[in-house]
Amino acid sequence: MAALKQIKQKIRATDKTRQVTRAMEAVSAVKMRKAQGAALTSRPYARAALSILKRVSASFDVKNHPLVAPRSVKNTCVFLITSDKGLAGNLNSGVLRAMNNALRERSLTPSNTTFITIGRRGNEYVTRRGFSVLEHHENHDDKVRSDQMHSVINTIVSRYTEGAFDAVFVVYMNFLSTFEQRPTIRQMLPLSVEELEHVVGDIRPAKGMFAEVSAGDARANAPYILEPNPEAVFATLLPDLLSIQAYHALLEAKASEHSARMVAMKSASDKAGERVREFTLEFNKARQAVITREVSEITGGIEAMAQ
Amino acid sequence: MHLTIAKVDQTLFAGDVASVTLPGSSGELTVLPHHAPLITALKAGDITVRLPAQAGSERGESQKFEIERGLLEVNSQGATVLL
Repeated sequence: MAALKQIKQKIRATDKTRQVTRAMEAVSAVKMRKAQGAALTSRPYARAALSILKRVSASFDVKNHPLVAPRSVKNTCVFLITSDKGLAGNLNSGVLRAMNNALRERSLTPSNTTFITIGRRGNEYVTRRGFSVLEHHENHDDKVRSDQMHSVINTIVSRYTEGAFDAVFVVYMNFLSTFEQRPTIRQMLPLSVEELEHVVGDIRPAKGMFAEVSAGDARANAPYILEPNPEAVFATLLPDLLSIQAYHALLEAKASEHSARMVAMKSASDKAGERVREFTLEFNKARQAVITREVSEITGGIEAMAQ
Repeated sequence: MHLTIAKVDQTLFAGDVASVTLPGSSGELTVLPHHAPLITALKAGDITVRLPAQAGSERGESQKFEIERGLLEVNSQGATVLL
């Protein structure tokens, strides 16, 4: 019967889809764990950099450094991190919506805003809206690429120093847990110490396997020797602080992407399974209808012959 | 003395060392255990790490790392090099 065959084909097709989504779910789960694990490696670095920053800022006024002192904002740069690929639920739309709100709040328009983008989705979005993109990188690697990161930081620092823009924000999806990501906007430049402490405090997710009880810094407050002088140390430290911020944002974005995709694929697999059950039921009903009809045709025939 | 040499995305060295020699911005310096707390900028050059001597040998093995720039922090817990 044609109807039976069609239903059977549907069942087979849906089951294939489920196999694919299940595989994608498993792959994303592994990648997510890797991205979370990578956050571990940057932790001691970030701690040491912050501790150095504290020593330095205690002994001289860092607030007057050109990268720290706030200036009146005319032009803004937004560093936007999205994914290259879709199939990740509302990950990118969430980031873009948060960014749009922020743009509106600060009344940023294509005339006073430039973008640096990582990830095709965000790049397409801002280009369509007429914003100029200073630099774009793809985001299809599973690891955070340090060459991308350094190139972005170099661009940001040199343009900021030239005065091409007066504030830099980074927009990305912050990873809270496997099921919860939150779009986050942070100021990169002018650099603020509080903002940095925030970032370092956030480096590990609040919950889950990599969550950490924050260890109090029990170091004795011994007087440090600063060589050659605090200013020089601070100048050397600056790029490190920026790369911590950028690296951390990239890492969070990666972890969010993979976990969002994992959850999206999980619900896709569940849905496919549900559909297979529905189709099977429909198939059985149709088959039973055919059998019943045939039986009644036969009995009808016998009845007719008996008369 | 515990030494960590780290880039933001990877840790190049972490472990106990006998001494470490670094290209400080105002000249080469060697840090031994119980060094006074110090923060200094580093310039391009080589970091030489000498591992603690094993039983039977007089001196431990050494390892070299080439750097472009960096920062050194020494405190009572050990030394950290940020590249």
